[in-house]
Amino acid sequence: MSAKSCELRTVMVMNLSGRSNQVAISVRDLVVDYKQLRAVNNISFDAKAGEVTVVIGPNGAGKTSTMEVCSGVRTATSGTVSVLGLDPKKDRSKINSQIGVMLQDGGVYPSARVFEVAQHYCNLYGNRTTADELLEMVDLTRQKKTSWRKLSGGEKQRLSLALALAAKPRVAFLDEPTSGVDIFGRDLIRSIVRRLANDGCAVIMATHELDEAQRVADHVLMFQDGNLLANAPLTELRGSAGMNQTLEDIFRGLSSKATISRSREAQ
Amino acid sequence: MRIFRSQLRQELTVMARNGEQLLLLVVVPIVLLVFFSQTDFLTTDSENKIDFLMPSILSLAVMSTAMVSLGIATGFERSYGVLKRLGTTPLGTRRLVLAKVAAICVIEIAQLVLLIFVGQSLGWNPSRINLVQILVLLLIGTSCFAGIGLTLAGRLRAEINLAAQNGLYLALLLLGGIFVSNDELPKTLGDVAQVLPSSLLSSLLRSSFNNNELVMTDAIALCTWALTACALAVISFKWSD
Repeated sequence: MSAKSCELRTVMVMNLSGRSNQVAISVRDLVVDYKQLRAVNNISFDAKAGEVTVVIGPNGAGKTSTMEVCSGVRTATSGTVSVLGLDPKKDRSKINSQIGVMLQDGGVYPSARVFEVAQHYCNLYGNRTTADELLEMVDLTRQKKTSWRKLSGGEKQRLSLALALAAKPRVAFLDEPTSGVDIFGRDLIRSIVRRLANDGCAVIMATHELDEAQRVADHVLMFQDGNLLANAPLTELRGSAGMNQTLEDIFRGLSSKATISRSREAQ
Repeated sequence: MRIFRSQLRQELTVMARNGEQLLLLVVVPIVLLVFFSQTDFLTTDSENKIDFLMPSILSLAVMSTAMVSLGIATGFERSYGVLKRLGTTPLGTRRLVLAKVAAICVIEIAQLVLLIFVGQSLGWNPSRINLVQILVLLLIGTSCFAGIGLTLAGRLRAEINLAAQNGLYLALLLLGGIFVSNDELPKTLGDVAQVLPSSLLSSLLRSSFNNNELVMTDAIALCTWALTACALAVISFKWSD
């Protein structure tokens, strides 16, 4: 794509950013291979601004690989990915100022202190918010001087989320934000995620905890063995399966169907 | 500029908080300088031990900062996912590398100042040094050792990298004409040592400290090391495991 048409698309997206439900991420025929292993097998989906798109599935289903390609830290084997109308690899410098990324493993130097890291990330994004404000939002004001190493699992996750928020992102990639977090922390994280979407951000959140997914999702992407089992709004998914069915029931149903059809194909 | 400054501050704070690093960068060189200048373990024929030691310790300091310290820290940053995460921010590779280079320069200047200060108090006479030449050599030496450190850090697992950097440091130190002159090593070993970057840097620095002419072939060899090591680092570096 020429640089000009790329720019044009960005402008369009920017003009529309006031309204919700515009496509922020568009993935087509994505394949990610690791040597012998196919982690992501030819998947396509869209994620919209103003919505929480939850990526669910068991460990090793391809959730993280997909998120990493979208956030530009991993290269796709094939397929196209567009984030805010830009290519996450080629237009990395343009995209990086508009996205907030929370990686699965923190990514903070162990001896760095809470306030210091928050301040640094605020600086990196041009001080769109203050470190104090961020820490208050994730309830870490009292841990300001604590080093990352000494934080509990839940505190680490909250700080990591705060760092992603320093971007005031238009797209947020959150990989397992609630893993290892206690119930109060979960409530807090969930409310932050909801607020982020309400403000027009496209939130992509991976989790393998289906109960969590059910509480926060607008749209669900179900992964298994690198394939997309489902790509639908939560209400639709639950509507077709019967409202009293949980996401877990739905996942088990779809998962066994997929396994059966694959073993038939093999025969 | 604000982004660069913020990253530089972060680099220096993390480094300053790491006691092991400070030991390597400040305490070890100074203790060695004091110890060897006050004892008779050195077999140098220099009339004054301190004249032999000053350029030696400076080479050692460059190796510690640019190779070991930078290499180990970067290796751990890579394995902790720090580099990966920074890669998603507006920081950018160029500013990250510049911040690391600047952090090294800050430390090396501090080491140089401290060394000159301690050296003088041990009776060293700075009147014969060629400061411009020394600074240029420091720059070339730093690029060379930073290139080597980052090449290892960019590929090896953090713990293995840690061992490799320390092992290499010891080898380059012993075969670097730093405490033992290469002439005193067994013939083959001495010949090998002659072309190692640590030997090249320490002998070039020794000339600059005594205001002698630089041996041009040595200077060219050191530049070749620097270019090769930096190119290798750029080509092979992986930002995350």
